[in-house]
Amino acid sequence: MLELNAALLAGATEPEATFDAGPMGCGEIVIELKFRLRDLPAGARLIVHGTDPGLPEDLPAWCRMTGHTLVWARPPYYLIQRRDP
Amino acid sequence: MSDRFVVSLTHAKDNPDKATVAFVVANAAAASDKEALVFLSIEGVRLSQPGYADDVHEAGFAPLRDLIANFAKAGGKIYVCSPCFKKRGLDEASLVNGATIVGGAKLVEFMSGGVSSVSY
Repeated sequence: MLELNAALLAGATEPEATFDAGPMGCGEIVIELKFRLRDLPAGARLIVHGTDPGLPEDLPAWCRMTGHTLVWARPPYYLIQRRDP
Repeated sequence: MSDRFVVSLTHAKDNPDKATVAFVVANAAAASDKEALVFLSIEGVRLSQPGYADDVHEAGFAPLRDLIANFAKAGGKIYVCSPCFKKRGLDEASLVNGATIVGGAKLVEFMSGGVSSVSY
């Protein structure tokens, strides 16, 4: 969690939820993100840890399509803010 | 651009790698707020049967059973080719969540107007 703390100190306040996706990628991680963000209130922030090499491209694209906000990306950490309903 | 996305899958246990990746991509579409559809034809129709995919788990991927269940949970639809289904004598009284047996007209209707698709 030292890396996570460093990432937070570098520009983000405490997120509402965390998700350690490990090596999960492609459709598996985004469908899990869909479910997890759906369960959070609008505006809530989820910090994601994921090591899949496709995530630096996939998560910005997924956020553009779904309307969620990628607040910052510092692979393997990403902070996503849930869209309004 | 259409908000629909089709994944066409013609394989089941004859090519579990393709079957798995097809549903991974379908999950990506469903997760991305697309009206996502998996069209199962040829051997792929076997995946419409509950329990069939239980022992398919490709290395590096989630179990196929979970991928199919998550796709339906996210609102994805599964169209099952009727003649392919009948040819194989499968059980139409028992289908996985999200699955519907259809003929070609239903698929053509869904794809009319221009829809992005990928085939496995």
